[in-house]
Amino acid sequence: MDLSRRAVLGLAGLGAVGTALSAPRLIASDIPGRGDDVLTVAILGNAQDAAARASLVAAFNEVHPDIGVRIMPIQGQDWGNFFAKILTLVAAGTPPDVVVVATEGAQLFADRLAHPLDDFVKRDAADLKDYFEDVNPSLIESFMYEGSLYQLPIDFNAANVYYSSSALENAGLERPPDDWNHEDFLRYARAMGGASTGSFLPFFWTNRLWGGVVPWLYVNDTSFLAETTAPGGDWLWDTFYPGESGRSGGYRWLEPNADDPRVFESFDYLRTIVAEGLGSSPAQGGGGELVARFAQGQIGMTPAGGFWVQGLAEGGMSPTDYDVSFFPQWRGQRHQFGAAGYAMMSTSERKDEAWEWIKFCTTREGMQLAFPTPNTTPVRRSMCNESLYGEIGPAHWKVFYDTLDTLPSGPIPAPPQQAAVETALIKNVVGAVTAGSDAGVRSALGTLQRDLALALRRSA
Amino acid sequence: MSATVAPTPAVAEAPKAAPTSVPRADRRATRWLTWLFLAPTLLGLGLFTMVPILGSILLAFFRWDIITSPQFVGLANFAELATDPTVRVSFLNTFGFVIIAVTLQLAVALFLALLVQSRMPAWLRTFFRSAFFFPLILSAASVSLVMAYLFNAEFGLVNQVLAAVNLPEVGWLTTPAGAIAVVILVYVWQNFGFTFLLFVGGLASIPRDVYEASSIDGATGWKQFRAITLPLLSPTVLVASVMAIISALQIFDQPYVLTRGGPGDATRTAVMVIFESAFQQLEFGRASAIGIVLTLIIIGVTALQFRLSRRFVFYS
Repeated sequence: MDLSRRAVLGLAGLGAVGTALSAPRLIASDIPGRGDDVLTVAILGNAQDAAARASLVAAFNEVHPDIGVRIMPIQGQDWGNFFAKILTLVAAGTPPDVVVVATEGAQLFADRLAHPLDDFVKRDAADLKDYFEDVNPSLIESFMYEGSLYQLPIDFNAANVYYSSSALENAGLERPPDDWNHEDFLRYARAMGGASTGSFLPFFWTNRLWGGVVPWLYVNDTSFLAETTAPGGDWLWDTFYPGESGRSGGYRWLEPNADDPRVFESFDYLRTIVAEGLGSSPAQGGGGELVARFAQGQIGMTPAGGFWVQGLAEGGMSPTDYDVSFFPQWRGQRHQFGAAGYAMMSTSERKDEAWEWIKFCTTREGMQLAFPTPNTTPVRRSMCNESLYGEIGPAHWKVFYDTLDTLPSGPIPAPPQQAAVETALIKNVVGAVTAGSDAGVRSALGTLQRDLALALRRSA
Repeated sequence: MSATVAPTPAVAEAPKAAPTSVPRADRRATRWLTWLFLAPTLLGLGLFTMVPILGSILLAFFRWDIITSPQFVGLANFAELATDPTVRVSFLNTFGFVIIAVTLQLAVALFLALLVQSRMPAWLRTFFRSAFFFPLILSAASVSLVMAYLFNAEFGLVNQVLAAVNLPEVGWLTTPAGAIAVVILVYVWQNFGFTFLLFVGGLASIPRDVYEASSIDGATGWKQFRAITLPLLSPTVLVASVMAIISALQIFDQPYVLTRGGPGDATRTAVMVIFESAFQQLEFGRASAIGIVLTLIIIGVTALQFRLSRRFVFYS
């Protein structure tokens, strides 16, 4: 086909016009809200989760009609995956203004991405008095980093023990007392296993940072990372928690601690549980089948927090089918928890607006709109009440907040290098708990120690 | 006795075509048109293939965490790879996986292709072709998720079936051997379909008269397969093995979803370490360095295959 130069130029011109007309689609500027002068809030979830926050945004806009808000749902299989996508947004030059960050990423954000809230908190101290009075200081401390506060927590989940009422009854057991210990736990598991038939596991656990080996390490007064605290933070403790002593400027996890004899002790205990067939031999990740299995009565006990109540109700469990207790004590009874809150990005040009959003989300009104159902535990103790848990929750739902108020507690160990640390941990857990001997456990912990040292050093 | 060999008549030279003169304006328009049609592809290749490749090569010499400015570190990323136990194990795992999975993939595909090409009603042949190819169009992540449920140690269907016939339950995803076996099984199950189709095409192109002639000479069964089928199929085997090895060296989805690389490092592969380095540990330089090493290995293995093919591949 012969084409004249004029025709070629004409075609090229048409192509250019077509490209120009479709430019908004090509560069995605036609996505509603993109490019507008609005506050962008990134959350872990899908479009439905974003829609569920419509009432929260509407309520916020009643107070701040001049601040437009766009909820940006980002899907991820876990927090690590979500953080990776946030970092991609940062690299692309389109970071959000505010991001929901869980304990897993709190220090990563504080170290590299987030803006400290100290000045805002000091400025609006009067407004926040009610919030701090209602929130356990452990949750606040978990979001302190090197003396500054980077997030105001909005929800948390501690690892308690959920147990099946029928499994307990079949084994002729009473509800475990608050001060039960790890030996009692083993006795309960053996009794449940002995009384069961068919496909039943007395204890099911998953191999991940939250709720994996960490609860057993914490109650044994140890951890796989050496835990120290940073100085500072007095400005906050003196202002909002004047009677509180021993609080710090945040946690530091700088060295591996897998060679601690207590770590061996905890892993060896889990190895016993697995070897006796009392506990699952957890694959990495996992947990997707947990709700269904627990609801079907195939699991006796499992670590979970307040977030599970809604899921179990939807899975068909009535409040009498199960109950919840504290994690058993060992040398101590320190409970692990994970929390989440909004972090203000240091790159944000709308920091004042971002602060207003963060502040609003910590109000009672904001939290009630954000957490209408018990699919997590609100950080305000006054909201962990009969109206939230009474109808569909377990009989002892008070355990969820009493864990913080009556027992020692701490966040899961999550330094800025959390992703590398978590990878090092979970990949060595299975080898340790399925080892055939003490020597096998020691060998796996030796590898864990080496991998943790590498993870902490390489990403430092 | 001498024989006179008649000189071979020279091939008559074809009369030279008269040079056609294309007007300069037309030649220029043709050139314009050529570039115009090539432009979208070149643009796409440049933007989405060449730039990332060049960027990746460049990144390998830097330490970069996305957030702060990249720091030039020379060959440090490559030097660290040599002493990193995780990297070493992941590459060894990948090589082991490639050897077993590709061998199985080729063997299963060839065996089934031979079966399908044997006497069989046409509709059944069509059914098998579609059925064997079907897993390939499924998402590897979805397939792996379903398989993770099937092979769950406590509640999975596979162990329930084993228990039903009084066989011991197996820690499929919680023991190194079990996890490796499951990853290979899932990968081969999902990927042999394409190789199978290649073999079916290759077998169909072997002339029937060669078999008929060999039958007259008394060759049947295994002898025919060894002396006729395999040599004439060897070009297809080369293509299939090159593609299978390149693909297997880049395995990621199945171990990531099924085992996250565990237990321990048993199923951690090279691409998984690239992913973890870049998107979990924010070490983009290290990830790029591993990527470059893997690319060089793929190029080297492929070149070796083509070199060896001179000995083993028979082009009829």
